[in-house]
Amino acid sequence: MKPCYLGIDIGSISTKGVIIDEHHEIIRSLYLWTEGNPIDAVKRLLKGLKSDLPDCYEIKGIGTTGSARKLIGLMVDANIVKNEITAHAVGTLSYYPDVRTILEIGGQDSKIILIDNGIITDYSMNTLCAAGTGSFLSSQAKRLGIPIEEFGELALQSENPVKIAARCTVFAESDLIHKAQLGYEKQDIVAGLCKSIVLNYLNNVGKGKKLKGPIVFQGGVSKNKGVVKYFEEVLHEKVIVDKNSHLMGAIGIAILAHNHQSGKTYSFNIQDISFETKGQECNRCSNHCELLKIYKDEKLVDSWGSKCGKY
Amino acid sequence: MDKVRIGIPRSIHYYYYGELWKYFFEQLGCEVIISPKTNYEIMENGIRLANDEMCLSMKNLIGHIFYLQGKCDFIMVPRIDNYGIQNQTCTNFLAIYDIASNLFSTPILNYNVDVAHHQTEEKGMIQIGEQLGFSKKQATQAYHEAKTHAWQHKDRQIQKNIERLKSNQQKVLMIGHPYNLYDETIGKPIASFLKKLGVEVIYSDLFYPNITNRMSKQLSQELYWKFNKENIGVIPLVQDQVDGILFLSTFPCGPDSLVNELVMRKIHLPYLNLILDDMDGMAGFETRLESFVDIIQERKQKNV
Repeated sequence: MKPCYLGIDIGSISTKGVIIDEHHEIIRSLYLWTEGNPIDAVKRLLKGLKSDLPDCYEIKGIGTTGSARKLIGLMVDANIVKNEITAHAVGTLSYYPDVRTILEIGGQDSKIILIDNGIITDYSMNTLCAAGTGSFLSSQAKRLGIPIEEFGELALQSENPVKIAARCTVFAESDLIHKAQLGYEKQDIVAGLCKSIVLNYLNNVGKGKKLKGPIVFQGGVSKNKGVVKYFEEVLHEKVIVDKNSHLMGAIGIAILAHNHQSGKTYSFNIQDISFETKGQECNRCSNHCELLKIYKDEKLVDSWGSKCGKY
Repeated sequence: MDKVRIGIPRSIHYYYYGELWKYFFEQLGCEVIISPKTNYEIMENGIRLANDEMCLSMKNLIGHIFYLQGKCDFIMVPRIDNYGIQNQTCTNFLAIYDIASNLFSTPILNYNVDVAHHQTEEKGMIQIGEQLGFSKKQATQAYHEAKTHAWQHKDRQIQKNIERLKSNQQKVLMIGHPYNLYDETIGKPIASFLKKLGVEVIYSDLFYPNITNRMSKQLSQELYWKFNKENIGVIPLVQDQVDGILFLSTFPCGPDSLVNELVMRKIHLPYLNLILDDMDGMAGFETRLESFVDIIQERKQKNV
């Protein structure tokens, strides 16, 4: 049996899974929508990965990252649970050892990671406001009636992107509706939107940072060719988008799972166990904490959210 | 005759003057009632009653005053204009006395500080004593004893903070106003999460203010907010002894947004800027804090 390692990156919009071998080559990968239910998404992910994995492999380590990393880490009994920044940096460095800047725009987070000699020296993440991230783009795509997959292509057709307020998505949205009603062409509006994402990103997370090449762009939004184009235009620098750019977090956490393996062997049966969460408001004191209780096979395994730590 | 009951909100000013006020009023024979630690109910009431443009900390203060309303004879909410030229406070510090008197039925003690116009803390405190019916001599004596007590208390805390700088763990300097750093709904969960990650937390308010006020000039000559100057003045003092800096402020604090931004452009240590509002979920902060600690650990291991 050959060892392999599973990395799961559970984002707000999409869930990514990769299985790598001991040389960190990708054996299998899968990308699907989270649809607001990370537990179900991971079950679907595992089912999909299992169905076409050759029999000669056994899983020796599982890592989870992304905003639901704690919950899923508990569910799959991961040997490492790590934040997205570290996972993304590790994943990218395995492909581009000399990278200096990583731009990442995901579903509700956007971040910038600066690297010097393979060490993260600085990073910045959007404040808790999700302005200019993937979820904004996808909701606007829906509004304009364009499938998000075609969004980037359409933006490339524009020669004259309209100006759209970039600071706040609430303003951006009203600006966008206004421009559409004035009669601007769809591709110009789409291109303007892509450009506003870039400007917002650079003014927000990229503020005051020196962006040096090589620059790698990843996260779901990196698949949008329009955004890539405007990044290159504004930064005057080539922006590399790997064919696996959407999987970098999962690859990174799989590598970390390899490095931190405990000798345990995992099976794919995880998808069959029952795993439930129950939300509940605690009325013991005036804090009214929202408790989240987690049941694995109908047994309470953990509960989160209490301020006092009693639960 | 029953004792006069004085209410002190456990918010903004409490974290600067709690010890002084409590000792002063008790010395004069008053009963002191301090509102409980900030909880969900206090915060909700504050948000409901406050103007929407106030910062979360001010909203909390209003929630605390609401809690004390009807439970005491007087509530202590000062009007602080300045501590001398180039040592001003946020305009909310000037306004809160009048806001509170308008919002609540329990009388607010008439306490003013305006050092630039010779209205010092001592003068103000003695005037409250007289307002409550004590003689000038009694009030003066109570003030001086309270001042000594409060200073000794603060000095012990400062010594402990400086002691923590010698720790072998990773050290993060938390820069923020004490009413944010120690509030149950704002800074407390952040500090305890950092400690859980094995980080020693150094607090920016626990240094000698006369030193930090002067040191802030190394970062900017022009600033005129006393509390911000004292917070950032810690950076030139300890930057060789800490591994990272965490800026903590509440949305939408005016002085913090300007001063922290200015400082971030001038420092060479890893830093994290956290701006808090009344959000319940901790997940967003945990990601940011975890990765921040990862970076300072990695830097230390590789000796950057």
